[in-house]
Amino acid sequence: MFRYIVRRLLQMILTFFGATFVVFALMFANQDDPIQALVGEKTASDSLRAALTERYHLDEGFLTQYWYYMKGLLTGDLGKSLTGRDISEMLADAWPVTIRLAILAILIAAAIAVTTGVYAGIRRGGLFDNGTLLMTLLLLAMPIVVLAPLAQLVFAMELRWFPATTTKNATLYELLLPALVLATTVIATQLRVTRTSVVENLRADYVRTARAKGLAPRRVTWVHVLRNSLIPVVTLIGVDLGVLMSGAIVTEEVFNIPGVGFNLARGIRTEDGPLVVGFVSVLVIIFLIVNLAVDLLYAALDPRIRYE
Amino acid sequence: MSDPNLITVAEAPDVSGRSRSLAGDAWADLRRNKIFWVSAVLVVVILLMAFLPSLFTSADPGACALSNKHKGPTGSAIFGYDFQGCDVFARTIYGTRASIEVGVLSTLMAGVLGLVFGLSAGYFGGTTDAVLSRLTDIMLGVPFLLGAVVFSGRLSGSEDDGVWAVTLTLGVLTWTSAARVMRSSVIAVKSQDYVAAGRMLGASPGRLMFRHILPNSMASFIVVLTILLGTNIAAEATLSYLGVGLKGDAVSWGLQIAEAQDYARIAAHPLIWPSIFLAATVLAFIMLGDAIRDAFDPKLR
Amino acid sequence: MPGKRPWKMAAGAAAISLLVAGCGGGDSDDASANSNTIVIGIAEPEHLLPTNATDDSGSQVLSSLFYPLVNFNSQQEPVEVAAESITPDKANRVWTIKLKPGFTFHNGEPVTAQNYIDAWNYGAYGPNAQTGGYFFERIDGYAEMNPLDPDKDGPQKPPTPKTNELSGLEKVNDLTFTVKLSAPFSSFESVLAYSVFHPLPKAAFSAPGVIAEGFEDQIIGNGPFKLKGKWEHDNEVVVEKVSDFKGQVPKIDGITWKIYQDEQTQYADLVSGNVDVQMNIPIEALSKASADLGTRFQMSENSGFDFIGFPTYESEFSKPEVRKAISMAINREEISDQIFLGSRIPAKSFVSPVVRGYRENICGEACEYNPVEAKRLYDKNGGPEEIKITYNVDGGHKAWVDATCNQIKASLGVNCTGSPEPKFSVLQQKARAHEPIGLIRLGWIMDYPLMENYLGPLYSTNGSSNHYGWSNSNFDRLLKQGAQAPTPEAAIKKWQQAEDILVQEMPVIPLRFMQNVYGYSEKVQNVEMDLFKKVDLYEIETIA
Repeated sequence: MFRYIVRRLLQMILTFFGATFVVFALMFANQDDPIQALVGEKTASDSLRAALTERYHLDEGFLTQYWYYMKGLLTGDLGKSLTGRDISEMLADAWPVTIRLAILAILIAAAIAVTTGVYAGIRRGGLFDNGTLLMTLLLLAMPIVVLAPLAQLVFAMELRWFPATTTKNATLYELLLPALVLATTVIATQLRVTRTSVVENLRADYVRTARAKGLAPRRVTWVHVLRNSLIPVVTLIGVDLGVLMSGAIVTEEVFNIPGVGFNLARGIRTEDGPLVVGFVSVLVIIFLIVNLAVDLLYAALDPRIRYE
Repeated sequence: MSDPNLITVAEAPDVSGRSRSLAGDAWADLRRNKIFWVSAVLVVVILLMAFLPSLFTSADPGACALSNKHKGPTGSAIFGYDFQGCDVFARTIYGTRASIEVGVLSTLMAGVLGLVFGLSAGYFGGTTDAVLSRLTDIMLGVPFLLGAVVFSGRLSGSEDDGVWAVTLTLGVLTWTSAARVMRSSVIAVKSQDYVAAGRMLGASPGRLMFRHILPNSMASFIVVLTILLGTNIAAEATLSYLGVGLKGDAVSWGLQIAEAQDYARIAAHPLIWPSIFLAATVLAFIMLGDAIRDAFDPKLR
Repeated sequence: MPGKRPWKMAAGAAAISLLVAGCGGGDSDDASANSNTIVIGIAEPEHLLPTNATDDSGSQVLSSLFYPLVNFNSQQEPVEVAAESITPDKANRVWTIKLKPGFTFHNGEPVTAQNYIDAWNYGAYGPNAQTGGYFFERIDGYAEMNPLDPDKDGPQKPPTPKTNELSGLEKVNDLTFTVKLSAPFSSFESVLAYSVFHPLPKAAFSAPGVIAEGFEDQIIGNGPFKLKGKWEHDNEVVVEKVSDFKGQVPKIDGITWKIYQDEQTQYADLVSGNVDVQMNIPIEALSKASADLGTRFQMSENSGFDFIGFPTYESEFSKPEVRKAISMAINREEISDQIFLGSRIPAKSFVSPVVRGYRENICGEACEYNPVEAKRLYDKNGGPEEIKITYNVDGGHKAWVDATCNQIKASLGVNCTGSPEPKFSVLQQKARAHEPIGLIRLGWIMDYPLMENYLGPLYSTNGSSNHYGWSNSNFDRLLKQGAQAPTPEAAIKKWQQAEDILVQEMPVIPLRFMQNVYGYSEKVQNVEMDLFKKVDLYEIETIA
């Protein structure tokens, strides 16, 4: 087990460099004219263009730019955004609120998906099952660009249950509506997968054995079936982090949360390479750690899986 | 959506050594299944709408006049008019094609990629798993927005309508979740008794992989794919919102939804109709997938 | 509202239980603690250093922190504010600027001529890469501070300028300095109102020509408000009244410039009363704005101008008749009413009504909707079968471009499609490279209220925003004669002659003039916005 973790940690370093390289390459490919993005629709003067090109090495080749970036990164310098702000400072400003938002969304999604999914699975084909199916489909049919403003319109502006916007220092109550919206992006998949796993596992031999043994049905369902059904769901929660982050781009914009998603969107829009790569680097690290944790969870959930 | 399942299992007609083939059993099962028939008919109708839209409406989806802005239903335009004064019914019918093409093709692509990566990683384990899983991690690390802007923006020529660019982009960006789910199912199935038994009996790795492990790992995978179909149809709207989606005078549900959303407070009908069609399409595919999977699942017999 | 309370309680309970579970939350800010302060919504400013703050939000915040040299009266004529007098020599080439005495910066430093010279030198120096640097290009010595890159985008680096001081600036005494222009310009005083011409205190510089680290986040100005705390990026900029301000004293005690990422979001907050002034209500919210806000929903003119440029380098659009036919195929009134709900005004001239010298409806019948005549003219002159209008999606142009295309389709019987590009820079590059992108959606907001600020950048051969490549030597000549004319009135005559050429040639289709479309909460009154899209901070007041 210990050796497995060490090996994974070593692989992580490679993955980290791989991911930052890919993102850097994508940003490079996406770079049309970051200087123009700075001046809006007016035209950048030649001397402004020359000076900024020089300052951000914009006329250098891809590998040279990557080298400059990595050199900075390894000495702990994430560089400056094209608007001249320290990226490390921007990271420190943006992460806390997004992490709270993401955790809240994951908790909401998992809580709803697992309980509803298990019930739907047990009563397969029943009214509850079909009802949840329809509900999830309606959510699926709404891309988040539609869902987020609609939720704001209905729950904040018309019904006034929640504040319409929040800030960097949002309270949990203020974050609840954005988190709910964000949760809907992953709830459908989690719910369907839970339901399917439960249906599968209910027919498994060990359930029959447990029932034959005379165990209480409730115990069979909530202990044996649930535990075995959680494996694919747990995997999804790891993957969903990525989905959540892309959903966060829209959610944060709509609810005015100056977090990671917002900064990423801005960086991509203004072709701000250092900014995007800086944020993605942290994102990738979190991502890798979560996925390692997920893999370790498999072993905990399923005693038959062993890592060596 | 259940094609991989269908093929692999159908090619192994007598896994259980029964007199009737599994496919034959499945068909007998399906014939009696009401849900199968409902969803199959729905899918056929949707495909007809996609490829023969003129069967359903004689109106031109491109004929729009601002004087009709947000008008309610009339005799010819039974769903009313949208913000630009276009016939919502005609546009919804004509939008089926691009939406279905993008949704089905990108999901197929994601499915194939996910199957190959997930099955190999889960089955072989060790170095293969490490390499493939880390590749998946790297892909997952790329923010969807960035990938979408770069891939779709670069892939689409200035002349075409962008269906291919959008399909490829969504395929490339969404296979990772399918792969990870596949891998975890394979890992779980691999340690089951019947696989161990098969191995001890001297079954070849290929036979183990395709006849024992794969069919038993498909359940979650298919669910993820059917949902992916829905989200990919909807994701086309997100791409359009970012300006890297369908181009020119293309019509699609995603474009309709994205446009109508801004005016939801004033006129809801241009938003509701394409959303209903989108939901019904996804529902049809999910039900069809469920029915077919149930019919083929050896554990259900 | 039935059903409201149980939900809220359930939500609250969930929040509390999560709080207990160790998922801590921060405090919400209480901006409205002081009743005579207001909240105005902006976007995150790109910069707050005056010479680098050319975006709307940045210059709006600066209008509270700084006191400008000049401002404009209702006839758009310059009036001295921080300046005592601004006088040209006979040739309109050397301008003497005298400052009013007694003004100080927020840190107590007196405002002197040297503060202006230091700030302008910093802004004009090429390697400092200030986005507002081009405002100084009329001043003698600008060229030496901004040497041209010998091979443009090539590997060679531009030479380092030999000097970092504008030779045209000269200090006479503590309150007087002279500005020598590289060519005579009778309307120079109008240019000086822009925010790049604000002074900087000595404290701004850590060494001569070097801005101190962190100064921008704690900027010190000479205006009626001073920064309270720091610029909280992506969150807010809070300013409070300077206690003994020598100039015009505002009626409010402070402003929280609240930063929004999205205008629809900001509108949600305006309706809920969390923001007092929204300076730009998005068109999606317009149809409900009267119902939501009543008389607190207002419009006033500004300098914005929407138009479509023809790729005149392409043979199919080389005939003025074809260009006029397309212009006549467009029903401007219908688009203004239906798409913009009256928030933009149909344009039938090539400069905005806000500048002196504007003539109403100068475009004549070429800008009148006349589908029959349009089709006749178009067919007679062999207009193309396919028309494409390229636009950038990041500016919300899809709706009107689609509507315009639908009108062209209906009027001319040809196919017309809107072609989206993700960003304006892509559109600009493709146009400059003469790629076949068809008609180009363009827009302009003036820097200073002169006809020349439309005619020069938009239509002259080397105009900075002439992306569509039209060129006419007569036009260029008249423009130059206007700039060097002895009086502003004589200048306007020449510029109007230049505009007449545009009417004949129709290199662009004028579409709409923009307006400020703003709204405010029940807490404030006397809210007015100027041509530069700024709220008048001296008139606005809270309702006690």
